[in-house]
Amino acid sequence: MKNTQDSPRVIDVTGLSKVYGSGAIAFAALKEVDFHADVGEFVMISGPSGSGKTTLLSVLGCVLRPTSGNVIIFNRDVGAARENELPSLRLGLIGFVFQGFNLIASLSASENIALVLRLRGWEPKEAQNEAAKLLAEVGIAEKAESLPRDLSGGQRQRVAIARALAGHPPLLLADEPTANLDGQTGLQVTELLKDLARVHGSTVVVVTHDQRIHNLADRIVYLEDGQIKKESL
Amino acid sequence: MKNQYLSKPAGEADALATHRPARMLRLRTMLHVGTKMMFHDKLKFAGTLFGVFFAVVLANQQLGVFLGLLSKNTMFIDNAGADLWIVPASTQTLQPGKPVAMASLYKARTTPGVAWAEPLLFGGGSVSLPSGGSEQVTIVGTKAPNFRGGPWNMVAGSVDALRSPDVMIFEDSERDKLGGLNLGSVREVNGYRTIVGGFTWGLLPFAPSYSFAEYDYARVLLGSRSDETSFVLVGVAPGLSPDSVACAIQSRNPDYQALTTRAFRNRVLRYLLVSTGIGATTAMSTAFGLIVGLVIVSLSMFSAVVDNIREFGTLKAIGCRNGDLALLLLVQSTFYGLLGSLIGLTQITSIAGFMRSPKLALVLPWQTYLITPVIMVLLCGLASLLALSRIRKLEPGMVFR
Repeated sequence: MKNTQDSPRVIDVTGLSKVYGSGAIAFAALKEVDFHADVGEFVMISGPSGSGKTTLLSVLGCVLRPTSGNVIIFNRDVGAARENELPSLRLGLIGFVFQGFNLIASLSASENIALVLRLRGWEPKEAQNEAAKLLAEVGIAEKAESLPRDLSGGQRQRVAIARALAGHPPLLLADEPTANLDGQTGLQVTELLKDLARVHGSTVVVVTHDQRIHNLADRIVYLEDGQIKKESL
Repeated sequence: MKNQYLSKPAGEADALATHRPARMLRLRTMLHVGTKMMFHDKLKFAGTLFGVFFAVVLANQQLGVFLGLLSKNTMFIDNAGADLWIVPASTQTLQPGKPVAMASLYKARTTPGVAWAEPLLFGGGSVSLPSGGSEQVTIVGTKAPNFRGGPWNMVAGSVDALRSPDVMIFEDSERDKLGGLNLGSVREVNGYRTIVGGFTWGLLPFAPSYSFAEYDYARVLLGSRSDETSFVLVGVAPGLSPDSVACAIQSRNPDYQALTTRAFRNRVLRYLLVSTGIGATTAMSTAFGLIVGLVIVSLSMFSAVVDNIREFGTLKAIGCRNGDLALLLLVQSTFYGLLGSLIGLTQITSIAGFMRSPKLALVLPWQTYLITPVIMVLLCGLASLLALSRIRKLEPGMVFR
């Protein structure tokens, strides 16, 4: 995998298509999509169900291969990366926030965060200290030893955000981060995500249906039928 | 706080993006996550552990009974104190069969390298019971004054009692069966009035118990000819190789076989294992125990992965490789194998202690305690392959669905 030119853009996608299946049952989830995100930007992707939002996020997250097109993330052509390079790319460049929080049930809040750091090569003690700092940043320092089952939905999502920020990845991808939260908590969590991403210098791409948080976006991209219909600032 | 990637040239950031921690650090991380995940679902943990425990107990119980059975059939050879045995050519087990001519005894005594040679008489005996009826014993005749070939493991009386006329030594665990024997009791053996002179403990082969008499009295009881015996026991002079002395005796006794104790023992074992089907039966039941354990552990570990499939998907999404997750499963399977072996071996050891008797012995050699954990760790590793195949097929993109 080779670097392309130096660019202020964290994400630079051109002509991205993703087709599921083949022949008569082929379904094009994304059709010639061009998308970009600049350093420090907070971008939201919105659109109806089945519009291709999650597919786009999956491709950006290096968990799904594009059928065609270029996917450049931090100057790396991840679409052309070998399969065995993708885990390291995800680990080193991307932090994830999932709709269902996806915390490891058997690990405490701080262990969930420290896990990412340990996978990156941090010593356990240092990773645990850093996890404590991140938990303090998301406002639940006192929950460090709690298991996910003992946390509320909002607290779990805060832990998930802290985990995504662990190691300061340049790109955060969030999939419907407010879907399992009430309106007020959802707004607080999104504000927190935006604030911390700014502090950590991360670019954020959020896929969401939730119009209550649209006003927090620097830019909103609307997808429909696998194509970008409009962008608004 | 400035993001480290934004201030670095692309090539350097590439290196950061593709950095992987050292193998030892990865192992420690997977050890941490693997054990946490394992203990989290206590029911599944107990179920998997039970699978290993069950396999250990069942396999070792089968093997222990089998080894006990073998030791019953070789105990006389092991304890007779001879270096060499002169046996009829067709002999496969320690049973009275075609006799050995006494001439071979005299030839052996005059063979260079032989320290001593004594006859040994074997035959079936019938002990009449006070209540009527009779019980079978194996009459063993050993020559005074040295009594090569036994008795041993005396628990009452003494070997020297055999020097007195009409005296025999019986197996202690058979006293009740033989009509409540005590020292000095009188029974009719093969029609001859016999006095009980002592008791041995544990000399109960997979046949009627050994009952000892002085050689000449045994010959009377068995009606044997004076120029024949059942076996000849030979002691080799110190410093000489039993094999070379056996060859020398063999060359002078072409009608018989001179076997080292080890060779005779192996011949008996081979016969039992191959010709009687005991070996195949035991191997099957032992394998059955292991297979049941393998299936239980496989299904438990597989179902643990399926139940936590989203967690494994998350681990892959955040950057774990298949190799990391294989390591995680390896940690778990090793733990299951070792802990299950420990508990299982503790249990089977106490069972062996509880059921130890001359009639049924569970033999657990020290090698069992080394080999069992190794086999169980390998077995659990094998069992985890099913779970690993599920993880390998798992797409990290599933976390967004």
